[in-house]
Amino acid sequence: MQREVGSCPLAPSVRSRLIAAGFHTVQDVVEVTASELAREAGISEDSAVKVLQILRPENQRGSSTAQKHTALALLEEEQAQASIITFCSALDESLGGGVPLSKVTEICGPPGVGKTHLCMQLAVDVQIPECFGGVDGETMYIDTENSLLVERLVDVANACVLHCSLITQAHQQDDQKIAMQRFTLNHILSHIHYVNCHSYAELLAQMLVLPDFIAQHSKIKLVIIDSIAFPFRHSFDDLSLRTRLLNMLAQQLIHIANQHKLAIVLTNQMTTRIGSSESLLVPALGESWGHAATNRIILHWERLQRFAALYKAPNQKDVTVQFEITHKGFRDVQAVEPETSSSKSEINPRKRPREHDKEYQP
Amino acid sequence: MDWEHLDLDPQVTVALNKANIQSAGDILTYSVVDLQRITHLSIPDVHHLQKAAAVALQMGKKAITALQLYRDKNSFPSQHQKLSLGCSILNNFLQGGIPMVGITELAGESSAGKTQIALQLCLSVQYAAEYGGLGAGAVYICTEDAFPSKRLQQLIKSQHKLRSDVPTDIIRSIRFGDSIYIEHAADIDMLTDCITKKLPILLRRGQIRLIIIDSIAALFRCEFTGKDAALKAKHLQSLGAKLHHLSTSFTAPVFCINQVTDTMKDTDSVLNHLGLQDKKVQPALGISWSNQLLMRLMVSRTPMMAPPPHAGGILRIMEVIFAPHIPRSTCYYTVDLEGVKGIGASQEPFAQ
Repeated sequence: MQREVGSCPLAPSVRSRLIAAGFHTVQDVVEVTASELAREAGISEDSAVKVLQILRPENQRGSSTAQKHTALALLEEEQAQASIITFCSALDESLGGGVPLSKVTEICGPPGVGKTHLCMQLAVDVQIPECFGGVDGETMYIDTENSLLVERLVDVANACVLHCSLITQAHQQDDQKIAMQRFTLNHILSHIHYVNCHSYAELLAQMLVLPDFIAQHSKIKLVIIDSIAFPFRHSFDDLSLRTRLLNMLAQQLIHIANQHKLAIVLTNQMTTRIGSSESLLVPALGESWGHAATNRIILHWERLQRFAALYKAPNQKDVTVQFEITHKGFRDVQAVEPETSSSKSEINPRKRPREHDKEYQP
Repeated sequence: MDWEHLDLDPQVTVALNKANIQSAGDILTYSVVDLQRITHLSIPDVHHLQKAAAVALQMGKKAITALQLYRDKNSFPSQHQKLSLGCSILNNFLQGGIPMVGITELAGESSAGKTQIALQLCLSVQYAAEYGGLGAGAVYICTEDAFPSKRLQQLIKSQHKLRSDVPTDIIRSIRFGDSIYIEHAADIDMLTDCITKKLPILLRRGQIRLIIIDSIAALFRCEFTGKDAALKAKHLQSLGAKLHHLSTSFTAPVFCINQVTDTMKDTDSVLNHLGLQDKKVQPALGISWSNQLLMRLMVSRTPMMAPPPHAGGILRIMEVIFAPHIPRSTCYYTVDLEGVKGIGASQEPFAQ
């Protein structure tokens, strides 16, 4: 109540008039009516009404905005929160159960390593019903590169439905049977909200309307931006503007993730940093962007195998795990067995074993 | 910008004009505190202004569900249609053909058959949708060599043999040569000029639906020396963004041919990062160009001859390096008088 008028979010002209008229604290202002205020401070009735509107809810909110939590309460809250599984158990384990809610996770990698794939997998997995250990949420998919192909999403969704129905058959539990009646391909697809943004301005605009959209669709538990890098890596002559916009965006994302208890997943491209002795691939968008995400996963190739490295995570060890992308989606690497490789080639007749290729390479 | 059509308080409009803010896009580039300082508005007013500008920028675009994308085939052609390569085996291999939106790259050493595939695309794009085309012409931007018009005429003459799935009178009714626009770009400025000025006109008139650049590497590899790497990357990024923009606005595929470079060491770090460890060559132009691509194909020659039905041709391999919808895989093909033909699994030459 002792807050000074000078510190309130009022238009500067109004603020100075109020102070000049002797209204020093918020208390002084809210005790008078609008017409009195207008007369005393010499401002129009309209702006007086506005001043009161701004200051009154502020007073009521004052106590709630500065909510205090004990570390114990926060720990309990965090432990109660589920994560979104990736279907690659090694990666899930290294992330502490999956992609965490209320956090920003960034996936970086060179083209073709599986960033978009992991996004599609998460968009489907977030919808797994609670009785299967999922979070039963919806997805907001913001596509800046137009790289989402529905046919692939359908494959991933079908594999996920099949996986859950196999679990149901094995366990024979009633709640799972009921959940499975609802959990179909159409159900999954209809709960992925898709929007594409072709420029950074559109992306910033999307960020501003996103809280409203989430308020309307309260089950959204995952927001994907694929990719954050593309709109910001061209058409910027002024790099300080870019840094400023990216920082602003990062703040907005962290705020949305926290407030709505949802996971935000971003993808980022890689760029070459030329060092003194050798050149390295590093995530794009510069050093300051590195602070934006809580978790950073870097996907990379080693020979012909794909690896995911947990590069930055506050509460996990830095580890590197292997994964692969099958026709079903993002998966663990299976131990090589003769049966699996033959069954795979049946499903995908175009994928021929590599030995044949070698015959033609002298 | 005219602020009238935004849902704003007249007071706010006056403040915006006074602060000399020109467009809704500008509003979004300022933080709340900056906006308050510039416009002298209260914070709730600024929040309201930002929302209004965001809504205006979106121009009524709403989020759609993936189910709509999947079901509504007419509204979202880019999700359901692909550009045919004019050969059913290669189409099956690429799960329909070239995606409608995005940049597809075809890399390979010289004489691997890259230009042949590009020429065939120029023809197949002109068929109606039911035959895998887009019912429009193509623009062919040459940067390294003269356009192979003699070979094009040869291909046009033998279209009825290659496309036996299309009735002959339909093939005869299409004047293939008239809808292929050929551009020569000798340097990057000419290429940029062509992409930003000429192509939008042709695309808007509906005369073309396919953009081919043969080859993207030629210009960039000769104009920049090693120490200009950062400038080169910047040019490549802006070129990629322009092509991407054209492709999305007109639902027109972009097909870029790229050269390859030899790999110097066994443990080349870049190769390793792109998952190309098993290759002797890698696509030119590095990662800044690779980042712009939706799909990368590589072609190469083998020292062998094609199996019986295609006797006389050299056996070649096409490989999908990455694509959002296709796993890494290979397919054999050959080039003969009639054009590019895939070799199916049943005819594959497993000699031993």
